[in-house]
Amino acid sequence: MYMFFLSCLKATELIEKKFHFKLTAKEKLQLKMHKMMCTACSKYEKHSILIEKGISNIQKSETPTIDVEALKTKISKKIEEFNKN
Amino acid sequence: MENENLKKWVNEFTNELYKWAYYKTSSTEASEDLVQETFLAAAEKLNTFKGDSSPKTWLFSILNHKIIDYYRKNVNKPVAIESISISTYFDEDGGWQQEKRPKDWQDKENQLLDNDDFQQILQKCLDALPEKWNTCVKLKYFTEKSGEDICQELGITSTNFWQIGHRAKLQLRNCIENNWFKN
Repeated sequence: MYMFFLSCLKATELIEKKFHFKLTAKEKLQLKMHKMMCTACSKYEKHSILIEKGISNIQKSETPTIDVEALKTKISKKIEEFNKN
Repeated sequence: MENENLKKWVNEFTNELYKWAYYKTSSTEASEDLVQETFLAAAEKLNTFKGDSSPKTWLFSILNHKIIDYYRKNVNKPVAIESISISTYFDEDGGWQQEKRPKDWQDKENQLLDNDDFQQILQKCLDALPEKWNTCVKLKYFTEKSGEDICQELGITSTNFWQIGHRAKLQLRNCIENNWFKN
């Protein structure tokens, strides 16, 4: 049975790993067992998913406006300089 | 003649390129630099552009390479990754340190995500991450790439990648809990 027991450190690592990589069958089982017994890690997972969503919300909502015309002028000048050399 | 094209493209595509760069880097300064570098690279290899693809596609592919370079540079910057060590969060046996155990976040998830103050705290905590972690977190969330692809681009192992993500998340979560829930 000992092979099924994860520490909280390992469990939270697997929770993070799961966002990007497929867990092995063993890892899935280990994580499931751990979460059944550990409320702290279950909370951690909920929070982690919430944070993921929050970050993608931030990213979608804001593109600060800049002076695009100024940037265009700046780039055009650089290109002219480049062509002279 | 060709240069006329390039000038036209600066006019036409700067805005879109900038928005894309910002989406990928979350930095106005870096985005402006990246767009500028993109056009300079385009000027340099204008004769290799054969018009097989649209100029827009061509420019975006140059920009994407620049963005990858930007990420790579940031990841390779040495940071004191041990400065916040794992032992802050876990004891020797890998159990939660008492004061770092996740607490109940009582608010409903959707309410939190709609809350501007909560978003601001999240942003603040995100900014407070060490730069290396920040880059990894951004790559993870702001590109549609798979974990494997990101690792390949950054030249790090997949284990390294999610471990960085793990540490970043521990710190983020803790930062949010401290700032939001203790008020």
